[in-house]
Amino acid sequence: MDILLVFVNILIFIALAPLFEGVIRKLTAKVQSRQGPPVVQPYYDLIKLLGKESITPGNWAFKLAPLMALSSIITAISFIPLGFRATALTQYGDVITVIYLLTLGSVAILLGALSSKNTYAIIGASREMATIILVEPVLAMTFIVGAVKAKSLGIDASMFSLSSGGYGWASVLMMVVFILALQAFVGRQPFDTTEAEIEILEGPFIEYSGPNYALFKLYMMMKQMFYAVLFVTVFIPFLKTGYYAVDIAVQLVEVFAVTCFIGLVGATNPRLRIDQAVKYYVVLVALSLTAVGMSFYGV
Amino acid sequence: MNSDVYGILLTAMGILLASSVIVPFAAGKRKYAGWLNFLFVTVAGVMLLNISYITVFGSSQLSQLLHFGPVGIYFMVDSFSGFFIAIIAFMAMISAFYSISYMEHYPEYSLRGFYVSYPLFILGMIGMVTVDDLSLGFTISWQLMTIASYFLVKFEYRKPEIVRGANKYLVLMELAWVFIIIGTFMVQGAGIGDSLHTIVQKMGAMPGNYQYLIYGLILCGFGFKAGIFPLGQLWLPDAHSVAPSPISALLSGVMLKTGVYGILRTFFWMVPHSETFHYNGSFWGILIASIGVVTLFIGTVQSMKQNDSKRLLAYSSIGQVGYIIFGIGAALFMFNTQSEFLRLLGVITIIGAVYHVLNHAVFKGLLFLTSGSVLFATGTKDLNRLGGLLKLMPVSAVLAGIAALSISGVPPFSGFASKWTLISSSLLAGSEVLFLLIFGIIALFTSAITLSCYVKFFGMTFTASGHEWNAGHKVKEVSAGMLLPKIVLAALCILQGLLPFVYFQTIIGVFQYSKGSIVYSVFNSINMNDHLFSSMMGVSVSVPGISGIASSAAVPAVVLLVFLGALLFSYLLRRSGGSEEREADTWMCGYQDLHNGNRYLNRSMFASLKSIFRWTGGNVKE
Repeated sequence: MDILLVFVNILIFIALAPLFEGVIRKLTAKVQSRQGPPVVQPYYDLIKLLGKESITPGNWAFKLAPLMALSSIITAISFIPLGFRATALTQYGDVITVIYLLTLGSVAILLGALSSKNTYAIIGASREMATIILVEPVLAMTFIVGAVKAKSLGIDASMFSLSSGGYGWASVLMMVVFILALQAFVGRQPFDTTEAEIEILEGPFIEYSGPNYALFKLYMMMKQMFYAVLFVTVFIPFLKTGYYAVDIAVQLVEVFAVTCFIGLVGATNPRLRIDQAVKYYVVLVALSLTAVGMSFYGV
Repeated sequence: MNSDVYGILLTAMGILLASSVIVPFAAGKRKYAGWLNFLFVTVAGVMLLNISYITVFGSSQLSQLLHFGPVGIYFMVDSFSGFFIAIIAFMAMISAFYSISYMEHYPEYSLRGFYVSYPLFILGMIGMVTVDDLSLGFTISWQLMTIASYFLVKFEYRKPEIVRGANKYLVLMELAWVFIIIGTFMVQGAGIGDSLHTIVQKMGAMPGNYQYLIYGLILCGFGFKAGIFPLGQLWLPDAHSVAPSPISALLSGVMLKTGVYGILRTFFWMVPHSETFHYNGSFWGILIASIGVVTLFIGTVQSMKQNDSKRLLAYSSIGQVGYIIFGIGAALFMFNTQSEFLRLLGVITIIGAVYHVLNHAVFKGLLFLTSGSVLFATGTKDLNRLGGLLKLMPVSAVLAGIAALSISGVPPFSGFASKWTLISSSLLAGSEVLFLLIFGIIALFTSAITLSCYVKFFGMTFTASGHEWNAGHKVKEVSAGMLLPKIVLAALCILQGLLPFVYFQTIIGVFQYSKGSIVYSVFNSINMNDHLFSSMMGVSVSVPGISGIASSAAVPAVVLLVFLGALLFSYLLRRSGGSEEREADTWMCGYQDLHNGNRYLNRSMFASLKSIFRWTGGNVKE
């Protein structure tokens, strides 16, 4: 039975991630007084890309990278307890596994960028790596704050324990830091330094076309939804009814709200330079470390 | 049975000694000498592996006095020595095989000295992990190891910077030796050739305060060898980066581990219990763990800044040894607490540290052999000049990729299993001890930096571009003689990652059979099956006081299966549109073509990170 939940997770993510992307695009357009594409436009994009000609520089690493990226996020998704129900796989991983899997997705982007030989792509890769190094700890410490409370690194245990029994100061601080890091997690403005369309022309993805690009696009959308789901599961656990279907529906509504937030912040902020962004991340890391310390003392 | 093991040990040592006398006469015929050296090392290596097999799986030997003419030296080959003997013997064989083809790279240098020193170096390392004293036998082994490796490092003696690096190495290793010897003779009444057991008894009769001096000096000495911060930075990058690559593989993969061995032996075995002498395990645990954490962070960050591929690997060795030292210290601290929860995590941590010793030997060996192959094929190890070898050296590229993923700790490769063990146990312990929590977070953070080092190493060597303008001649894949050892090591990287339970069980055995350590009783009293669930699928841990599985973790098999399923799905999805594929040149955004002037150089990578980590030192001048 629990094994079905794995497929439910994956299905929900693949089916809805493009929709949330569409919402952001629509919202961005509205903010900028444009009409914008229909919310289902990302689905059209993906389908169209899958059928288009694929141009490669002819090495296996370039072709492997998009497969690796999409697979890593799908694997990560199959471990997380969507709708507060652990899947069959949840017990086989711990939070460190999840963190490493998310990192693997970024590694795939780097691999693709480096093997495309394009100078702009490699600039993007260099920035992406700097971002991973400084933003990953924030993600890790989100789990660790919970893990310290639960004395367990189990995925469900550390995700659920952070806000169960009300918010302590540690949880509140961690939540604030997570919100501040959210744009960086999903690579949107003001932290879209990796892609930076008008500066380095989509950076790592510059050489990608057709189905390979479709895979990367789907990966980015699913990653965005993943972080939104992570946020609502970890920080908003009190709207839990106990009915699986209802819980998922409620969570999806919350994810929708988080997505709107991401879209609004993205649409109203200019991009930071990488050195400015890096300084910002250092502050976030320091703050989240404080949250972990507070959690240790039970504050 | 006893004499049996020691008999084999002496025979193996004799063969190595014979090799260093006989093979140099054949050095005129380079290939022939290489094969002969490999043959001798393999015969000795197989015997040594046999010793490991006997001791690791149950028959640990007690200390024994062996006579060499008038002098007697105490030897002890227990399961713990056996574990290290296996690593040394195996890597020695791999490296000897690789040397056969690789040493063709230096036609202008005679191989005579190389084949004198090589077996002596191995002999010295074997001696380091088998002698049971800290004076006579230790000195002979240490000097044999140091002086033989000094000549190996100095192989290209016509280059002044190489000689400088080698000289520094020699001087500092002698300094380390002095530290250890002084430390030993601080023990009142310690005589030349006393076995460790005797030393422990004599130490027990001393006031406890002396331990800070004795252990401190010994820690400095072995720490020098292992490469702890800041001592390792003084010699390690200079020596490891200039030696011929198979020797670098041995230096980084194996020789540093003799320092780790020394630290473990000192703080877990050489521990007296008496009325006057109270061993302050918590203090030493905190000190060693702190040193380890600083070492792993600084070493890895410095590694990220390097442009020379072998220097990058050398700094990264400091970082990886830092993980091991950190594990040792954290475990020592946890064993010296009263909490059952922490003591169990201590067991897990020490297993992880020893597991990482093995893993690091394999993947760092593979990485040095890779950079050796690249040096062989292109003539350069400068990452600014390399690039784009993916198509030209496809096998080396795949093997390097496996090694890079292993050392970065990506599941399901070997580094993940051991780093997970270290990080997760210290994070779990962190719920009771704050400093372990912080250290665990730093270790986790550092593994992302490790990843960046190897993205750079792999990316700037095999992908990107550069060799087209800089390599000079046509680049070819290296010969089978150099690929074969790398394939064996890469297979091990995967095996050690996929079957962590085999290694967990073996390492538990190592500690259960080796008598006299402070963890002997813990390992034999805790019923492992109650807390450690290991199967084909992986290893998970439960801890007292918490229901359920606390950290179900090294489960590479499950992750791999799911990942492969997802990979298949992604592949089918990509095919689903039925799109055509075409090869085309990279679009240069308006430039006419890609050349040395407009490509992205290694030194520009991670510029923003380098600037915030400038204070860690090890910066490279432009």
